[in-house]
Amino acid sequence: MADTGCELISVTTGELLMKVMEMKSENYRLMQAHAVSIENGYELSYTFGKDYEWVSLRLVIDENEEVPSITNIYQAAFLYENEMAELFGVKIRMISLDYQDKLYRIDDTTPMKRL
Amino acid sequence: MSKFMPFAGTMLKNLFSKPVTTSYPEKPAAYPERSRGHIEIDIDQCIMCGLCSRNCPPRAITVDRAAGAWTINRFDCVQCGYCTEVCPKKCLTILPGYQTPGAEKKEAVYHKPVEEKATAPAGGKPVPNLEQCVFCTLCAKKCPQEAIVVDRGEKKWELTAEKCVGCGLCASNCPKKCITMK
Amino acid sequence: MASKKSVVPFGPQHPVLPEPIHLDLVLDDERVVEAIPSIGFVHRGLESLVKKKDFKEMQYVVERTCGICSFMHGMTYCETIEHMMDVEVPARGRYLRTIWCEMSRLHSHMLWLGLLADAFGFESLFYQCWRMREQILDMFEASTGGRVIFSVNAPGGVLKDMPSDMLHAFVEKLDGFEKELHKIADIFLNDYTVLTRLKGVGILTPEEAHELGAAGPMLRASGIARDTRKLGYAAYGDLDFDIITSDDCDSFARCDVRIREMYQSIQLIKQAVDKIPQGDIAVPVKGNPDGEYFMRVEQPRGEAIYYAKGNGSKFLERIRIRTPTFANIPALLKTLKGCQLSDVPLLILTIDPCISCTER
Repeated sequence: MADTGCELISVTTGELLMKVMEMKSENYRLMQAHAVSIENGYELSYTFGKDYEWVSLRLVIDENEEVPSITNIYQAAFLYENEMAELFGVKIRMISLDYQDKLYRIDDTTPMKRL
Repeated sequence: MSKFMPFAGTMLKNLFSKPVTTSYPEKPAAYPERSRGHIEIDIDQCIMCGLCSRNCPPRAITVDRAAGAWTINRFDCVQCGYCTEVCPKKCLTILPGYQTPGAEKKEAVYHKPVEEKATAPAGGKPVPNLEQCVFCTLCAKKCPQEAIVVDRGEKKWELTAEKCVGCGLCASNCPKKCITMK
Repeated sequence: MASKKSVVPFGPQHPVLPEPIHLDLVLDDERVVEAIPSIGFVHRGLESLVKKKDFKEMQYVVERTCGICSFMHGMTYCETIEHMMDVEVPARGRYLRTIWCEMSRLHSHMLWLGLLADAFGFESLFYQCWRMREQILDMFEASTGGRVIFSVNAPGGVLKDMPSDMLHAFVEKLDGFEKELHKIADIFLNDYTVLTRLKGVGILTPEEAHELGAAGPMLRASGIARDTRKLGYAAYGDLDFDIITSDDCDSFARCDVRIREMYQSIQLIKQAVDKIPQGDIAVPVKGNPDGEYFMRVEQPRGEAIYYAKGNGSKFLERIRIRTPTFANIPALLKTLKGCQLSDVPLLILTIDPCISCTER
């Protein structure tokens, strides 16, 4: 596989919270999370880091699949998750601080979702 | 270990020294040589290929081949200098001196001399030597106007003459040097 | 008597804020109990422009993410593309990038010091800092042609070279700058009024800093030694430097760390000028990016993360920019809890907020 700069671990929606818990217990910090629009769905990456080492959890979901929020485990994730929900239309359940599409004051709904 | 009034020295010095600012506009500002102020065009060298207008990030440049006009909206230009990078003829330069403010956005139009327009475009049209051609398709990829179609399987090299602007990029990029501008 | 809580809206317009962020401060008397942030006033949609600008043109868009770390954004983007396309930048190009990076850090920290002085009401110190910063901006203008947006990066290297007489003139100017910095630093680190405003305000413990994912000086001021420059991108691998940290965890520590980083930046520029090799500054880039890449660099405000995904065409599929302020907002909320209302402007400033970059 080509070099991606960061180790990628594939997870499923069901495994996500457990994996994130594992990361937390191993004292990783949340570095970033982002979404990419792909054909009929999304590719989500949650990047965690410890010292200079970093890994990304890669989750590929369908357009209408719901993802649990990781804000209960990593508080700092609320901005990333709101961004995913607002710009891409990823359906995220139970964000601790949910802006309800009002994070960015923009006219379009989900401008970065692939049509 | 906290000190009392450590800024006093600096303050007194400022009080009795000349101001660091200059009295612009009475004294004009001095720009360094590399300062990116505005785009200048050597219109005689321009071959109207349109690469600058297509690559301009804010789309401030328009090129009208038929009228031989090169137009820049200096108020839209962001002085990034990308057009000077992509220009195949290197007839664009970026020089010091900013656009002065104005009440409305104005465009600056440069016309190519009319007598030249009557003749064929500056560089002529590319003609390949098909005996040497390896059909690598590099010319087609490099063509800014997508005027060249190369089919490796069929060994076909076609030029849409109306689209061609005679920029010579195909000839300069040809690995076999088998394209000549005629 | 049960205390009654009140909510005070803070921002988006506030004298201390150069950029708009809104906070709902829940107050118990003068003490902040909770702060709820709200951003989104300046979202520009830079990331979605990848669909319209090809990957070379995109550099000019990306470097406009921020007016302070403009160079670093452009460089990180180019390095991401270079990694995707397996392009090796010539050594001189890498050194030039390093020099410009450190100059960016210098002027960014100088700007921050000025704003900090402004936040605690020391106007004349604010002007003194910005006056010093002007020297760095002049150096930028002389070497790149721009004072804020530099446009010298391109995938494959840099577009402009610095001749050796220019480099040595810069080193001389930096010597003068360093002397002035000593005077200014003395005020920030020793003045009685400044110390009373900064010491012990806005404590962020190392555990909290790690857990909330804080970045940059905010993190290092909490005693965690992590500096992405140690990964050796650009020419940092060839340079010798220590990570600057402080164990005080308060606003004063953040100020102290940034001031010491400025001395370090001057040292790094001098080292790079001594070691810079001759040779090409760029290599031509052929083809289109494919695959994906994660990249991180240390910006003046902290660690920035770039992610790019290509599809083999000249348009990238996705570019994602995680700016350091984005990571520092949760840490800011933490420090705001329990502080006095009058310290709120100061605390917002200690993360060196750059809201426009955050929203992109």
